[in-house]
Amino acid sequence: MSAAPGLERPQVVSHAQQALNYTVFDCKWVPRSARLLCLGSAARGTGLVQLYELRGARLELLREIEKPKPIKCGTFGATSLQQRYLATGDFDGNLNIWNLEAPEIPVYSVKGHKEIINSIDGVGGLGIGEGAPEIVTGSRDGTVKVWDPRQKDTPVANMEPVQGESKRDCWTVAFGNAYNQEERVVCAGYDNGDIKLFDLKTMSLRWETNIKNGVCSVEFDRKDINMNKLVATSLEGKFHVFDMRTQHPTKGFASVSEKAQKSTIWQVRHLPQNRDIFMTSGGSGSLHLWKYEYPAQRSKKDSEGAEMGVAGSVNLLQNVTLSTQPISSLDWSPDKKGLCVCGAFDQTVRVLIVTKLNKI
Amino acid sequence: MPLWLREHRWHQTPAAVFLSLPLRGARATPDSIFCSERYLKVSIPPFLFEAILYAPIDDTNSTAKIGNGNIFFTLYKKEPGLWDSLTLENADKEKLQYLRENAVLKAQQKAKEETEAKKATKEEHKKYALEATMKLEEAERKRIEDLKEKERQKVTEELELWKNQQNDADKYKNIQKEGELHQEIGQLKERKSEKMTKTRIPNEGTSKTRPKPTKGHGSCSIFSPNVKEEQLPAPRSAATIKVNFTPRVFPTALRESRVAEEEEWLHKQAEARRTISADLSELEDLKEDEKNPDWLKDKGNKMFAMGNYLAAVNAYNLAVRLNNKLPLLYLNRAACHLKLRNLHKAIEDSSKALELLTPPVPDNEEARVKAYVRRGTAFCQLELYTEGLQDYEAALKIDPKNKNIEKDAEKIRHLIQGTMQGS
Repeated sequence: MSAAPGLERPQVVSHAQQALNYTVFDCKWVPRSARLLCLGSAARGTGLVQLYELRGARLELLREIEKPKPIKCGTFGATSLQQRYLATGDFDGNLNIWNLEAPEIPVYSVKGHKEIINSIDGVGGLGIGEGAPEIVTGSRDGTVKVWDPRQKDTPVANMEPVQGESKRDCWTVAFGNAYNQEERVVCAGYDNGDIKLFDLKTMSLRWETNIKNGVCSVEFDRKDINMNKLVATSLEGKFHVFDMRTQHPTKGFASVSEKAQKSTIWQVRHLPQNRDIFMTSGGSGSLHLWKYEYPAQRSKKDSEGAEMGVAGSVNLLQNVTLSTQPISSLDWSPDKKGLCVCGAFDQTVRVLIVTKLNKI
Repeated sequence: MPLWLREHRWHQTPAAVFLSLPLRGARATPDSIFCSERYLKVSIPPFLFEAILYAPIDDTNSTAKIGNGNIFFTLYKKEPGLWDSLTLENADKEKLQYLRENAVLKAQQKAKEETEAKKATKEEHKKYALEATMKLEEAERKRIEDLKEKERQKVTEELELWKNQQNDADKYKNIQKEGELHQEIGQLKERKSEKMTKTRIPNEGTSKTRPKPTKGHGSCSIFSPNVKEEQLPAPRSAATIKVNFTPRVFPTALRESRVAEEEEWLHKQAEARRTISADLSELEDLKEDEKNPDWLKDKGNKMFAMGNYLAAVNAYNLAVRLNNKLPLLYLNRAACHLKLRNLHKAIEDSSKALELLTPPVPDNEEARVKAYVRRGTAFCQLELYTEGLQDYEAALKIDPKNKNIEKDAEKIRHLIQGTMQGS
């Protein structure tokens, strides 16, 4: 693992930061704007959504919306660019879609799960990809449910434990492979180290594996292409990059894993403008910027003649420590390359700029 | 007795004295020459030459050249003038002695001064060098800082530019949308001319308020959503996928580093369930059920719930005889003994339970808390309050949120303080 020399490496520059008086669980850029949202839980046990605008080197609070239950996660993934509705999952298992201009009544609401919704993802919106807009939620009750905002009350897909089996918490979900109207997969990571890939076209389990540590975050490098790479991060400072182009009948997908730091890796986010660069955020308050290098040949034949994938390698481009508390959420701006926001458990949200990404 | 060298020759100018001293085969080194203001000595054992000079000379600038079996001195006079002779002729022994000593002292002093001066210059040089390096490093640091700062500024500027572009784009879109809005309003008015009143009011309403892109689109594009939805596929037909998880006994998340400990605990539990410490002769006339420690444990629990503590103890005793590795048996028996006020037995059983509940994993947290609490209670009832408090605190460490344990611990603390104050 060789790092690019000295000042030619991408630098992570701290642009603005804002101290908050509540715990922030998720932060997201509002698409096509210089505004960002912070979602979290206030001390009195209610949920907060704050809308900030980036002005100069400061974050200006535009709007604050309070909701009865603390909010854990949110996504813009399933709305159109004009509407920009926010879908949120809260501590009570409710999935709500809000119009931020009129946030009193949700546009869509359902009590989707019995326990906290840990993770949410959306696909089909924002002009990215094709197919119906859908939202997937993963919850502590062990189920993963896919919702269509046009269908009330019942999910369009439900991945639940077999009757009688004890459940494991689902910690993270992600959409992928949405390259045409029919294809779609959902990847879910659980606290016992399971990663499961569900194919929504055939409504079946396509692949599963166990990475020996609870899975904190999964993300495909792009949602709207034929699935290319999947990064899964876990406890104990490890993450795995799976090459999703070639599935072997027994061995599954090839992967390379890195141990970045001793603490949990909370989030992974790919750069929207370059799918081989991703950033991981850690429990020790650090951010690591990685680049994936493809191998010379992405697939090869094994002894029986079946195709199997070959994993490449991961290089550390830069790392920086911003805080002493875990950085639990991270989001790249889809409009400006290198602009990202991260929220940490020290009740601070930071806007960072990563430079020299053009030269990678 | 040294051999005196007396064959010296000298001549002088008003400013200097030139002395030439043949060495008669002796080898001279710089150390053999000793010179001070008024005294000159050359000592090459066994040869010796000394001269008490007529007048003081400047010994720092004077030189001596050694070569060709000769030493050639060039002595610069302190006061110019012509000397009558090289040495003081008519000096008595005491004066000579005094002058010699003086000379030596002076020389020593001079040497000292010289070393000190040298040290001082050395320190000066060091300081200078240090300052120079510091300056260089400072310059380097500043250069890097400047680069970073420049980078930051550049990036901030780009960001501002981009933001302005966004704003302009948004404004442009707004204007466009307003244009479209007016167009659509016009079309609507044309189409629904019969329902003029109904349509005009909402349309006028929307055109009066400043339509933001969201509202504008939402209220006025009566025909566009249909068009859009036709392009999107219908919602999926609902289906369920059944999921099997990799089995995990513990409710906590899987961590690689804890796997070893957890394995150990599970192993122990499995072992415990399998061992049957057999005492076959007595056990022959027991029914099948009564040979199963778990069944006996259940029986014991039921008895306990009914209040029949002696029966419960019996059940547990038998279970222990069959399998003495199950911590829960000791734990429950301890509870019975507490009720029966067999405090020492309660303590014993709780301790045994705790022993069996190692290694400490989150799975046996509850059991360990109970064990500590029961043992603590027994200690307190025996009036061994400090031991009791220790156990309560251990329980609190495992389960800090338990209010009852906290309350009881507080009570014990007060008791201890009370007795201490009393005695």
